[in-house]
Amino acid sequence: MKADEEAQDQAASIAEVREAVKRFAAPEGGIVTALDGVSLKVRPSEFVTLLGPSGCGKTTLLRAISGFEELDAGEVRIAGAPMTGVPPHRRPVNTVFQNYALFPHLSVGDNVGYGLDVAGVPRAERNTRVGETLERIGLDGYERRRPDQLSGGQRQRVALARAIINQPKLLLLDEPLSALDRNLRKAMQLELKNLQHDLGICFVFVTHDQEEALTMSDRVAVLNAGRIEQVAAPETHYHRPATRFVAEFIGDGALFSGRVEGPAKDPVLVTADGLRFAVASGTPAGQEATLLLRPEHLEAAPKSPRASHGVIEARLEQSVFLGALHQFVCRLANGATIIAAPTGAGAGNLSEVAIGDSIRLAYRRDQPHLIPEVGDGA
Amino acid sequence: MKRGWVKRLLSLHGVLFLVFVYAPIVMVVVLSFNSNPINMMIWSGFTFDWYWSILGYPTQLNEQTLYVESTDQLLGAVKNSLIVAVSTTTISTILGTMTALALYRYRFRAQRFYQGLLYMPMVMPDIVLGIALLVFFVGFGVALGVMSIIIGHCTFLISYVFVVVSARLAGMDDTLEQASADLGANEWVTFRRITLPQILPGVIGGALLAFIISMDDLVITYFIAGVDSTTLPVFIYGMLRRGVKPEINAIATLMLTLSFIIATLGLYLRRRH
Ligand SMILES: Nc1ncnc2c1ncn2[C@@H]1O[C@H](COP(=O)(O)OP(=O)(O)OP(=O)(O)O)[C@@H](O)[C@H]1O
Ligand SMILES: [Mg+2]
Repeated sequence: MKADEEAQDQAASIAEVREAVKRFAAPEGGIVTALDGVSLKVRPSEFVTLLGPSGCGKTTLLRAISGFEELDAGEVRIAGAPMTGVPPHRRPVNTVFQNYALFPHLSVGDNVGYGLDVAGVPRAERNTRVGETLERIGLDGYERRRPDQLSGGQRQRVALARAIINQPKLLLLDEPLSALDRNLRKAMQLELKNLQHDLGICFVFVTHDQEEALTMSDRVAVLNAGRIEQVAAPETHYHRPATRFVAEFIGDGALFSGRVEGPAKDPVLVTADGLRFAVASGTPAGQEATLLLRPEHLEAAPKSPRASHGVIEARLEQSVFLGALHQFVCRLANGATIIAAPTGAGAGNLSEVAIGDSIRLAYRRDQPHLIPEVGDGA
Repeated sequence: MKRGWVKRLLSLHGVLFLVFVYAPIVMVVVLSFNSNPINMMIWSGFTFDWYWSILGYPTQLNEQTLYVESTDQLLGAVKNSLIVAVSTTTISTILGTMTALALYRYRFRAQRFYQGLLYMPMVMPDIVLGIALLVFFVGFGVALGVMSIIIGHCTFLISYVFVVVSARLAGMDDTLEQASADLGANEWVTFRRITLPQILPGVIGGALLAFIISMDDLVITYFIAGVDSTTLPVFIYGMLRRGVKPEINAIATLMLTLSFIIATLGLYLRRRH
């Protein structure tokens, strides 16, 4: 690890989950392990996203932090204080629920002011703060409306206002945007990000939309079957995924597993079915690894490729025009599909190839990421 | 063409249905104003006298007939009925709501079985319940009176309130309570500010239902009422055994009016929530 990252880890974390284990007794019998030893630190004013497929334990992790699920093992700390046995209403976190959970019998103003009312904040102060918060999220003048007189996007804002008015140390958001249509979603993503920046509150945000996770977060934790696969900045997930699962889950790309062979100057990854891929020089031979080839790594191979490049023989299956870029779907000798989306001059050369013809693709051998195989990998 | 007569047949069905249900009730109301003391099926003029008569005022008619043996007895029965109805409504509404909340919130072993037990009193024949309660009270030496009626009514009215409130709870979004806790409210504040307002229509509905059933119950009350704790239905039943008298129409009309007021109140409150 880099020194500065270590130093940051030492700094007081806003929330920390240590070796959290949560099991549920499934009604149909058997036991579901929703969290299987999850550890996570949230640093001050950070936007952390929990990303993973449905059922991987994102909601359970969030509920463990907010106190609605008790852990079977491990612990949650908020601002250094252990939270074991602390009920939800005494935890300094607030939640934006997926279905918003606005109180239907209360007006927008009373919904937003609920946290202050419960805390016994004097009326005058409460009213100014409700007004300010509503203004901040662009709903001033809506105090007297009922939740059922609002649009979906407006409800979303009210839920947000209600959760931030208490100025929690940590805001938990469980797929808050999933009920909104695409355009509104895009707008809200930006707004949430700005809000988080302005307030300086930590956000722990749940989504199963990788694009959303990548655009909004400082760091993304990818979960799979109750375990954290990798916690890192979005760029790191994309360029240097730690596991095959992360590589498959985030972004497009083709994965090839095999063993590294050959001299240190010209190492090659050889797959079980005999495909050979040049990998970065210096990769030690004998290592089991998975190569991740992203579409933008690939371009048309020149007549006489340089030693710094790897070459792939393939057959062009399909050519897809996507506006800004052009995708070429190619099939390898072993039947695997690989997508090339060359940028710049390389695209022109490929466009001349007819569908069904053989083509040669090239990539800089030091560009694709090589995931070292660890034990139970694919 | 064909549509036409189908439609007409349907309307006819609707009209017949209303006539079937409401004609007898309308008749009772009309006859309560009939001044014929001998045969109430023959209209001989409009009068309020039966109403005066049940309230104990002297009228021309009751000088001749004097059907209500004692207005004091009637008023006593009304008083008993109201005491019983108000107490049972209060007790069963509180207990029924608490039971519904407990079963909604906690999961425990044999929950289904327990739920089944709660539904039982509603399907049990009144006669059986009446006899069982009588045997129980006599066996344990509980004096029969207003108190025994209140206890008896509560045993099955709790079930009614439970069912109505449970239905309301089942329709409630359970993240609301979580949102409240999340915003710092403890259990009691959450109940008062979120849960109760959400289930209030159910609670009010259950209470009105309990009130009306309690006011109206004859069979069970008949078994467990003491000598001097007659309720209105038991009193009317006693009157009937000595012949159908015009005052009964007046009493029935008053009871109908009361039920009508309560039902309207219920609808109004439901509309407001
Ligand atoms: N109360 C419960 N009883 C039994 N199993 C549960 C319970 N809550 C969650 N689970 C199980 O735990 C696992 C994780 O659930 P969780 O809700 O955390 O998933 P998720 O990542 O939020 O999924 P999604 O993206 O679909 O919301 C799932 O397999 C789920 O079936
Ligand atoms: Mg979830």
